[in-house]
Amino acid sequence: MRTALSLVLIAAAVFALSSCAKPPEPTPDASAKADQAAQPAPAATQGKLTVAVIPKGTTHEFWKSIHAGANKAEEFGVEIVWKGPLKEDNRDEQIKIVEDMTSKGVSGIVLAPLDDTALRLPVQEATRKGIPVVIIDSGLQSEDYVSFVATDNKNGGKIAGEHLAKLLGGKGKVIMLRYQEGSASTMEREAGFLEAMAANPGIEVVSSNQYGGATTETAYKASENVLAPYKKGGRLMVDGIFCPNESTTFGMLRALQDAKLAGKVKFVGFDSSEKLVAALQAGEIHGLVLQDPMNMGYLGVKTMVEHLQGKTVEKRISTGENLATPENMNEPRIQELLKPDFARWLKE
Amino acid sequence: MASEPRLDSARSGLPSGWVQALGPVFGLAGTYLLFALIAPASFRSLDNLETIARQTAIVGAAALGMTMIMVAGAIDLSVGSVVALGSVVIAWLLQFAGASPLVAGLGGILAGTVVGLVSGLLVTRLRVVSFIVTLGMMLAVRGLAKSIAHEQKIDAPLTWLNDLLATLPAERQWMLLPAGVWLVIALALLVAGLLRYTRLGRHIFAVGSNEQTARLCGVPVSRVKVLTFLLGGSFFGLGGLLQFSRLTVGDPTAAVGLELDVIAAVVIGGGSLSGGEGSVFGSLVGALIMSVIRSGCTQMGLPNWVQEVVTGAVIVAAVALDRWRHRRVG
Repeated sequence: MRTALSLVLIAAAVFALSSCAKPPEPTPDASAKADQAAQPAPAATQGKLTVAVIPKGTTHEFWKSIHAGANKAEEFGVEIVWKGPLKEDNRDEQIKIVEDMTSKGVSGIVLAPLDDTALRLPVQEATRKGIPVVIIDSGLQSEDYVSFVATDNKNGGKIAGEHLAKLLGGKGKVIMLRYQEGSASTMEREAGFLEAMAANPGIEVVSSNQYGGATTETAYKASENVLAPYKKGGRLMVDGIFCPNESTTFGMLRALQDAKLAGKVKFVGFDSSEKLVAALQAGEIHGLVLQDPMNMGYLGVKTMVEHLQGKTVEKRISTGENLATPENMNEPRIQELLKPDFARWLKE
Repeated sequence: MASEPRLDSARSGLPSGWVQALGPVFGLAGTYLLFALIAPASFRSLDNLETIARQTAIVGAAALGMTMIMVAGAIDLSVGSVVALGSVVIAWLLQFAGASPLVAGLGGILAGTVVGLVSGLLVTRLRVVSFIVTLGMMLAVRGLAKSIAHEQKIDAPLTWLNDLLATLPAERQWMLLPAGVWLVIALALLVAGLLRYTRLGRHIFAVGSNEQTARLCGVPVSRVKVLTFLLGGSFFGLGGLLQFSRLTVGDPTAAVGLELDVIAAVVIGGGSLSGGEGSVFGSLVGALIMSVIRSGCTQMGLPNWVQEVVTGAVIVAAVALDRWRHRRVG
């Protein structure tokens, strides 16, 4: 009998604990949504479209911007379900979320795949069940999606190259520090940059085979090593530098600052952060190519809505690449990209 | 179904093995019913039940091994790393050695078995507690997986291995659940039978209950421990096979932190960190409880932190109730 009593208690505890899941909602708006979902037939599934947006992670600022853009697209009369992997950068977690959203029966899925092959099967499955998928940010080796909405990285690299060539007057020695082997987006940027360099016969790329690696720390060390052979008597025998992402740009900036060379060499980077913006202001960086994640989230959802409404959509949509320079960085358009106002859309 | 013998069952005069397994079942039913009431209708669909079963398979397979190891009074923290190693070995064999899917799959399981053997030998020969040995193995095996994969993932061709945990196509609906899930269920019955009816099974319980007494009674303690780790490792290897099946790539960074999910499944299911207790059936139910919470929270659109808080609370509550019951019965 005692055991029977304890069994009832276990059940009661699980009940009590699980029902705690509802009250600790952060905002009144969200708990209203949960209440809505508690009803047997939520109004959302009857007229209003529900679009699941699945990022690679949830904490990085880049994903917050995507979330903000997706929320902004609620103006098309859709409800956004935002859910990222519980464990960041975990392929299996993301697969589970795609599966969950598929069995939940959302109208469509907007997905930033963590892996270009591992997410093929769940996307195929969703498509087979009649749930269309729009891919954002990174590619998927599959044909089962409606559209691929992302930065044109090759063009981004080309913009960086053309800007650097202009700064150098079409001649000089240039270093490019690569990011990491196997990273598709940065490899495209590097290719675009080298293409722009090749168009200027007066420019010689003296180093383009070194990799910065995954972190700022490894990029910093790699930068020091790349610069070392060209340092002579407090001067740098190189005229221009390009780095293809945020961590390599910051690592190179630190290496230049430590060697008291920052500002003495033309330096173009990719992506932005508070520190990089400060360096742009100080004239230590002469250009940053910016992606537009908020636009990516917005266009991802918009493309999905258009597809659901029966319109034809482009298979590849570019979300735009912009160049921030010390001269234009105070223009409102560039300011918005450097410091996206995502708080407004995240209701934080 | 699977009720393991417990040393105090004679004393309490109750078939406590049954009751022990029933507690978690009650918890599972309660959790499911709760979400069935408050989550959207899609949560109750058969499709979603299948999804939950598929998503539980990896933790379930690993929990079979972990149950044996924890019943023997030990622990194995290297599960996640072994799962990653298994997936990498399989992808490597398929991609670079031209192995058939069957050979590659068995290769992954073999890799897990070897790691289990090494852990078992280290624990018994060096006389270092399993927590420390397998903590070391967790790091070493993770490193080994990364070295085989050159710190990247290994892409592999799609084979029937990738259908093991995929949603069933229309023409095979008669199977009800994918082959991988059936495999875990069949092996669970096998392990439950092993623990209950074989000499090895009784020795495992004896070693976990009281190692000194077991030794005095003539139980070959070291051999039992090595065998337990070896068998456990093979189930972790199977977890690696299932992980590969879902990912379609060999990923050396996969399953980080899986050991905590697996240990949680075993303790929710009535297993004890001090050994001598645990039930295969309970562990699978424990794994299912966590999957149900996951699925329910996702379908309700709750943020991630809610799910983590609820799962954590359920683990502590389940074990606390179990302890409380023990004091009353014992």
